Amino acid sequence: MEILSQLILNGVMAGALYALMALGFNLIYGVTRFFNLAHGVLAAIGGYAFFTLSKMLGLNIYLSVATGVAIAGLAGYGFDRLVYSKLRKRKASNLVLLVASLGVFTTAQAALSIIFTSQFQTLSETAGQEALSVLGGVVTRTQVIIIFSSLASMLGLAALLNGTSFGKAVRAISDDEEVARMVGINTGRVTGYVFFIGSALAGLAGILVGFDTGIQPTMGMGLLLKGVIASIIGGVGNIYGGVLGAFLLGLVENLGIWMIPGEWKDAVSFLLLIVFLVFRPQGIIKR
Amino acid sequence: MTKTDAILKTKGLTKRFDGVRAVDDLSISIAKGKVTSVIGPNGSGKTTLTNVLSGLAEIDGGCVVLHGTVTLKKIRPFDMPSYGMARTFQEVRLFEQMPVIDNVLVVLTERSVFGALFERHGAFHERQAEEALKKVGLWEKRGGLASGLSYGQRKLLEIARVLAVSAGRQMDIIIFDEPFAGLFPKMVKTVSSIIRELRDEGRTVILIEHNMDLIRELSDHVIVMDSGRFLAEGSPAEVLERRDVIEAYLGE
Repeated sequence: MEILSQLILNGVMAGALYALMALGFNLIYGVTRFFNLAHGVLAAIGGYAFFTLSKMLGLNIYLSVATGVAIAGLAGYGFDRLVYSKLRKRKASNLVLLVASLGVFTTAQAALSIIFTSQFQTLSETAGQEALSVLGGVVTRTQVIIIFSSLASMLGLAALLNGTSFGKAVRAISDDEEVARMVGINTGRVTGYVFFIGSALAGLAGILVGFDTGIQPTMGMGLLLKGVIASIIGGVGNIYGGVLGAFLLGLVENLGIWMIPGEWKDAVSFLLLIVFLVFRPQGIIKR
Repeated sequence: MTKTDAILKTKGLTKRFDGVRAVDDLSISIAKGKVTSVIGPNGSGKTTLTNVLSGLAEIDGGCVVLHGTVTLKKIRPFDMPSYGMARTFQEVRLFEQMPVIDNVLVVLTERSVFGALFERHGAFHERQAEEALKKVGLWEKRGGLASGLSYGQRKLLEIARVLAVSAGRQMDIIIFDEPFAGLFPKMVKTVSSIIRELRDEGRTVILIEHNMDLIRELSDHVIVMDSGRFLAEGSPAEVLERRDVIEAYLGE
């Protein structure tokens, strides 16, 4: 019984992180219609920005989180301005954009390795941390913070998309980019902002992973894949579906290893993806 | 027409598509506060002209002069509102997965994208949207998705979108690209009274239309295009009687 509640808690934890990745990924996919593979490396950029500010420069931890998130956002915004927007202007196909984003991913990841070496770094001050007991399972303070900041980001994003006229413009572009341009929405600018917001969320996910376990330059791919799987099983381009998908994925992969060794976690995730692709390709919530 | 009357002018305006001059060295003048119809056979460049004016097609030669002072050689689509222009499309395009009212509200967005991050659509915008939707008779449908509307209703929704934008931002020039095609008689009446109302408010309407009865009824001035070039202009009565115009239409 105890192990079951621990697995469920771990699943919710993982789900919260995947949800942050899926939110940004889906938001960007919604307005640009391409799989932005570079989304993964933004988590690493966020993590290393925090590492530099907090560990190397000794800045206040909250200030470092805020700045690290902003740096990840700016990096994503920069990638859009420097690479994707130029390709879109030339009417490049989504396949070209996908390959370009893979290039961005690889380049940025290599840059991180060169600057920070490939060594694994932990971000948290106290490695052990006091553990809290919840429903028979154990969670650390950090993990509680992860869940709450993830939930806060989801609510914040939902408020932005539903409550503001910016949100309406984003939904309009997701619906039909060309029409949005025709009715006078500055689609390039809105897309740039969406890249900032989505990438900032990925950066936050990277920092939180760093608190929970640690960071290394190659951490992006794993997070990206989980974010993408969550998006696909939730319904690509639908941010609420992506959140559901993320928690489903987190729970399934953690409960899936109840009886088998933990290294099969990724296999369980991809099995879930395949099941969805075959039996419900539109995802949980159809766009 | 004196110079000061012209709100929009084109000077030697040219647009090429793969070597074909869709709009060819076109110099026309649109009078302020009037309904000007642009007519011509299919392929005469009317729609290309509207696309160039609204920034959807780049200008290849010549320029557009607005309000007698602003000379434009490059127009970006999202700049249209700031130049005081709004338009409808021959093939209606809506935000299909958004509610009818949001289709109107979205064009009332704050011009600065940064500002829009913090702006809610308040009562003011909702009143503008309500007014526009009531004018075209779609207020009852406001909550449904745009994809659920009939062909005619879709055209009316697009017109409501333009009305809302022009009410909010003092649009001076409104371009209607074949607004009547495929409408029921009752809807035709609604749209023609909207066009008249806009004119009576002092706005300039550019109307692309094929139906000669409607052109006679609505327009103050008619410009005829043929193969991308200027062919003739004048009052509807004059122009529609001219032999060269009739020939261009009949393709003789």
